[in-house]
Amino acid sequence: MSGLSLFVQQSINGLTLGAMYALLALGFTMVYGIMELINFAHFSVFMVGTFVALYTFEAFGIFGQSTILHGLPLIGVLLAAFIVTMVVCGGIGMSIERFFLRRLRAVKGPASMITTIGISYILSNSVLLFIGGQGFNFPNPIPPVRFHFGQAVMQVEQPLIWVVSAVLMLGLTYFVQATKLGKAMRATAQDPEAARMMGVDVDRVILTSFFLGSALAGAAAVIFGLYYEYTNFYIGFDAGLRAFTAAVLGGIGNVPGAMLGGLLIGIIETMTSQFISTNWAEVVIFSILVIVLVFRPAGLLGRVAPNKS
Amino acid sequence: MLTRRNSIKAAAGVAAVASLGVASRAQAAQTVKVAIDASLTGADAASAARQVNGSILALMNANALNEVPGVTFTWEKFDDGTATAGQYDPAQGAINARKMVADPSIVAAVGPQMSGVGKAMSPILSAGHLITITPSSTNPDITNPEFASIYRPADNHAPVYFRTVTTDAYQGPNMANFFAETLKAKKIFILDDSGAYGVGIANAFEGQAKKKGIQVLGHEKLDPKNPDYTAVLTKIKSLEPDSMYYGGVTMAGAKLAKQSYQILPHINKGGGDGIMGSDFLTAGGFPAVEGWYCTIAGPHLVGTANKAVGTFMQQFITKFKTVPDDYSITGYDAAWVIVQAVKKLVEEKKPITRDNIRSTLLTITVDTLQGPVAFDANGDIKSHVVSVFQVREDKAKPLDDPNAQYAYIGEAPQA
Repeated sequence: MSGLSLFVQQSINGLTLGAMYALLALGFTMVYGIMELINFAHFSVFMVGTFVALYTFEAFGIFGQSTILHGLPLIGVLLAAFIVTMVVCGGIGMSIERFFLRRLRAVKGPASMITTIGISYILSNSVLLFIGGQGFNFPNPIPPVRFHFGQAVMQVEQPLIWVVSAVLMLGLTYFVQATKLGKAMRATAQDPEAARMMGVDVDRVILTSFFLGSALAGAAAVIFGLYYEYTNFYIGFDAGLRAFTAAVLGGIGNVPGAMLGGLLIGIIETMTSQFISTNWAEVVIFSILVIVLVFRPAGLLGRVAPNKS
Repeated sequence: MLTRRNSIKAAAGVAAVASLGVASRAQAAQTVKVAIDASLTGADAASAARQVNGSILALMNANALNEVPGVTFTWEKFDDGTATAGQYDPAQGAINARKMVADPSIVAAVGPQMSGVGKAMSPILSAGHLITITPSSTNPDITNPEFASIYRPADNHAPVYFRTVTTDAYQGPNMANFFAETLKAKKIFILDDSGAYGVGIANAFEGQAKKKGIQVLGHEKLDPKNPDYTAVLTKIKSLEPDSMYYGGVTMAGAKLAKQSYQILPHINKGGGDGIMGSDFLTAGGFPAVEGWYCTIAGPHLVGTANKAVGTFMQQFITKFKTVPDDYSITGYDAAWVIVQAVKKLVEEKKPITRDNIRSTLLTITVDTLQGPVAFDANGDIKSHVVSVFQVREDKAKPLDDPNAQYAYIGEAPQA
C-alpha cells in the first residue's frame, strides 16, 4: 500500500469516526449551552439507541448480515430505524429532564450532574440485566458496496455516515438560528431569567434541547451500529467520553465547535494509531485537549454559556 | 460440617482416638462445599455458564452415584464479571476469593475462567490454604515457580492453583508451530487485548513464531472497550502480512473479527481459547468470523466417539437445555478431581480439610473424561495437548452451537 493511499484510507476512517463523535458531541453541547449542565446520561442514551435500532431492524426480519436489501425497501427500513431510534432516544432524554433534572434545577451545586451519572449507570445496568451483557451482532441490510481510490477502499456506509451527519448538523444549525423555538433557545442560553420575562417558556425550551440532543444521539447510534455491526451495554462510555472531549475541545455550548471537535478527535485518534501506536490514542487526544485549553480556555471556537450575572 | 479448628486438631494428632470418633460420626452425613467461580456477567457469559454447568454436573453425579459414601457435595457459584468491566473483573475475583476463604465449609474451588481473575485470586487462596482447579485459565505465570512468591506466598509456596487444561506456555507456541508448519505463514502481525491472558498468550506465540522463522511485523495492544479498530487494522493492511494472531477474549475479539473482515478479508486469522465459544460466534456473526482459527488448551472430546463423553453430553443437554463445549468437559473434570480427592481422603480415614485435599491432589491420578489427569509439583496438568479449530459455518445448526460451527482441525504440533 502506497503512502498516499494509506493516508487517504486513514483520513476516510478518521472522518467517519469523527462524524459519529460530532453527532454525539452536539447533545452535550446543546444541554450545556442552555443549562450549564454536563449530561453524562447522554452516554447511555446513545447505547440504548443502538439496541432500539437493533430491535427495529429485527422487527423487519433483518438479522445479522444475512438479509441484504436494495432500492426502496432499503431506504424505507433505514428511515424507519432512524425515526424510531431518534424518537425513542429523544423521549428518554425528555423523560430524564422532566422527571429528574427539572426537580433539581433550583438546587445549586453538582446535584444535577451526579444525577445524570446515576441515570447513566441505571440505563447501562438495566440493559445488562434485561437484555444481557454479551456482544450483539448488529443487523446491517446495506449491500457491501466498496469504492476504490487507488489502494484505499471506502465502504458505502462511510459516505452514508458523512451525509447523515452533515444533514442533521445543518438541520440543527438552521433550527437554532432561524426558527422561533431556536431563537427562544438562544435567548434562554443567554439569560434564562430575562427570556422568561420576555415570555419564553423556559421549561419547554429546555425540554426541546434534551429531545434534540438525545435524538441526535439516537441517529449516531444507528450509524454506529451499521458501521461497526456490533453493540454491547458498555459501548456508550468510550465513545461518549471522546464525544464529550470533542465538545470541550471545540468550545462547550458552541454547536459548530462540537462538530469541529468531533472531526478533529476522530482524525487525531486514527492518525495516532497509524503513526504512533493504538494504545497511545488516548494519551495524544487528552494531551491535545490540555494544551488547547491552556492557550484557549474556552475551546477552539469559544464557549457559549449562560450569563449567570 | 468440618471446621478449620477441628482439622488443625486432627492434623496435630491431638487425641487420635477422639478425632477418629469425630470423623466416623461426621461420615454419617457430611456435606462438602465446593466454590465455583467464572465470569458469568458480561462478554463471556455463555461460555462461563457452559463451564460452570460442567462442574455442577460432576458434583450432581457424585451425589447421585453416591461416589463418596457418606459425603454429599454442595456448591456455591461466584461471579467475577461486573457491569463496570463489561467482562471479567480481577477486583471482583479478589472479593470472591476472600469470601471463599472466609467460608469454613468450602474445602476446594473450581475456577476461575479467566487468567486475569486467577492472578488476583491465587495469592488470597494461598493465604487461605484453599486450592482451586481451573478448567480454562491458561496464563502460565500463575503456576510458574519463578513467581511463586507472588501467586502462592503462603505454606512454603505450596501449589494452590491447579489446572485441567495446559497453559499458554504450550497453547501460544503450539499454535505458532501450526501457523508456521500447516499454514506456511511468513509475515504475521500480532494483537492482544491488554489483559493478563491476552498479553501472555500473544507473547508466547510471538516468541515461538520468531523461532520458527516467521517475520513478526508488529505487536499492538487493543483497548477492549474502544469500539473502533479500523485505524490499527488499516496500518496492519499497509504492512501486507499473510497472517494475524490475536491473543485475548471475546470483548475485543468480536469487534476485531467484524472490522478485520472489512479491512483484511483474505489473510489467515487466529487466536487462542479466548475466542473459542458461542459468545464469539453470536457477537461476531457470519460471515465475519468465518475462517478464524482458534485453539483450546486440551484435547477435543465433544462429539467424539468416546462413550463416557457421549453420556456426559446427554446428561448435560437434558439438565441445562444447551450443548456443552470442551471447557464444559474440563469443568466437569476439575470438579471430578475434587470428588476423587475427597473419596481418597475418606477411604484413608483422613479428615476432609483444605490442606489434605491439596496434598492428595499432588499424588493422585484421576480417570476423567479427558483421560487420566495428574498434576506436576506446581499444579499444572501433565498433558500438553493443544487442539486447533477453524470457524466454518454450518447453516443447518444453530449459530450459537460451538460444536457445529467450529471444525476440529487436529492437535497443534508440540513445541
